[in-house]
Amino acid sequence: MDIFDNLLLGFSVAFRPDVLAYGFIGCLVGTLVGMLPGIGPLAGISILLPITFGLDATKAIVMLAGIYYGSQYGGSTTSILMRIPGEAASVMTCIDGHAMARKGRAGAALAIAAVGSFIAGTFGVIMLTLVAPPLATFALRFGPPEYTALLVLGLVFLAYMSATSLVRTMIMACTGLLLGCIGIDVMTGHFRYAFDIKELGDGIGIVPVAVGLFGLGEILSTPSKTVTDKVKPPRFRELMPSRQEWQESAKPIARGSVLGFLVGIVPGSAHIIASFLSYAVEKRVSKRPEEFGKGAVAGVAGPESANNAASTGAFVPMLALGLPTGPVTAVLMAALLIHGVPPGPQLVNDHPQVFWGFIASMYVGNLMLLALNLPLVGLFVRILQIPYAYLYPLIIMFCIVGVYLVNNSIVDVWIMLIMGVVGYLLRKLDFDPAPLVLGLVIAPTLELSLRQSLIMSSGNWTIFFTRPIAAALLAICGVLLVLSVLSWLSRKDWREKLAETEAGEK
Amino acid sequence: MKLRRDHVAGGFFVIAGAAILAISSDLPFGTLASPGAGMLPMLLLGLLMVLGAVLFVHAGESPPLAAIDWSDIRHALPVIVVACVAAAAYTALGFLAAMSLMLFFLVFVVERRPLLPAIAFSIGATVLAYAVFAVLLKSPLPRGILGF
Repeated sequence: MDIFDNLLLGFSVAFRPDVLAYGFIGCLVGTLVGMLPGIGPLAGISILLPITFGLDATKAIVMLAGIYYGSQYGGSTTSILMRIPGEAASVMTCIDGHAMARKGRAGAALAIAAVGSFIAGTFGVIMLTLVAPPLATFALRFGPPEYTALLVLGLVFLAYMSATSLVRTMIMACTGLLLGCIGIDVMTGHFRYAFDIKELGDGIGIVPVAVGLFGLGEILSTPSKTVTDKVKPPRFRELMPSRQEWQESAKPIARGSVLGFLVGIVPGSAHIIASFLSYAVEKRVSKRPEEFGKGAVAGVAGPESANNAASTGAFVPMLALGLPTGPVTAVLMAALLIHGVPPGPQLVNDHPQVFWGFIASMYVGNLMLLALNLPLVGLFVRILQIPYAYLYPLIIMFCIVGVYLVNNSIVDVWIMLIMGVVGYLLRKLDFDPAPLVLGLVIAPTLELSLRQSLIMSSGNWTIFFTRPIAAALLAICGVLLVLSVLSWLSRKDWREKLAETEAGEK
Repeated sequence: MKLRRDHVAGGFFVIAGAAILAISSDLPFGTLASPGAGMLPMLLLGLLMVLGAVLFVHAGESPPLAAIDWSDIRHALPVIVVACVAAAAYTALGFLAAMSLMLFFLVFVVERRPLLPAIAFSIGATVLAYAVFAVLLKSPLPRGILGF
């Protein structure tokens, strides 16, 4: 079947009323999750994961992915109206988006963000449609050494691109990998670090760790007096940008879409990096860079487009290679595995309805989000007026219920609570918990493929350098590590530039 | 020497790595041709300790430990204590009782909101969540000794 036949199959799945309904619920919840402080896409997806247990794999992944890319849309609303990033990728939108709002152009900024997100999201899905299937076919040639090299590359990429330093990211990734070693060793049957707790025999689940670190951890770090509920919704007629604003946003949206998709494929906090890079590019190519920070249209259009394209780009390695590029795709992968659908090269051939139905649903989902985010912005803003003192206890309740329902295990709830405290302390010590979750997810695959590689080569470690694909992947690792060391020696990498940009625009 | 943030962070990972390494002695390392259950954990622990030491050595570039803002601890501490008590009571008291009590404590005691709205919110939100999870989605929520 060619790509159009496959897409037709996908749309025949995506337009089924039940799949449409779950896609809509995902987009709606995602928009709310993106807007509300204290709950990001990862916590939102993790908390709602148990709800999908009764659904088939297609409906489950369509709904959960809707939450992910819906949150990228929703994050812009609080950034523009309140200068509070509902989720991390919206930080750059705060700068010029809120400046536009102060000049009375809140409606125009929201419209540009929504249209830019729609165009970038759709572009991302088109690229995903074109890139993922051939990449999956290529990945069928991968054996254990190639998978080992690929996972190591993923970790090195993450360390290189992460929002904190190389050493801090590697520490978090190692901690996650170690947590992933807990439980019964599948090759020898040894119990590792289970301390006679039988629930730990199967290892530590991704959901309690992710909900604890990102859901509860965020709530513990956010006292209610710091969250404002004073926000004025724009009127519907104020939503139309002027002709000049449309013209100023066209090229940044195009650049942000391409840049975002490319960055999205790379492991790391892709959508956060994409929005920063887009902001930096737009400021550099602008004829009036002095307007940035004072309400430049390009400062909203570029980053918002980039973070949406990046969130779609992140699905390429997840679907084609079975490689999560961040904690959100890691949880989505876990969701597919729970439903008996392993993501990776076999997905396209073994489960075409899930693969193409999911891709087609993203085309539809982007349209839904455009329709949701513009006319209903007033309604969403009213939800922001719910006092945080009532909102966060509700989120904690959903965290407890959601985590408990995964395995009907109170041990999971305790792990979530411990991880909440760990997440709070990690923030204090300036660690990004995302690599920890990624390490936890890839630990079993990395360990299995590493040991299989060594066994099949009778202990000859040069197997990783004698097979062309593995050698090429490890060569890229080497280049990235050298670049990391060089930027560390020059004490001037993109992380410092990000800090400078944010500080400079305040 | 002024104690800095990365002294604490780096030192913690070195000590934690050494402690876990000490309790890993029962795990066989194996050989390259036949890797044991302890190979990856021990390699990772070694790497973790090295990285922790690097962080510690370069701690001079990090802010002083005293500069960390702990003002939110007055919010975090009661919230985590109430959540832990609710988790401890979750299977014993059941979903409805444990969660409504948790919501009430957080809203009325921790956030100092008025009594009647706090009671109405706690009971209303819990019953609504019960209706969604237990009735609509047929998810098995714990009933506890009270039978609901």
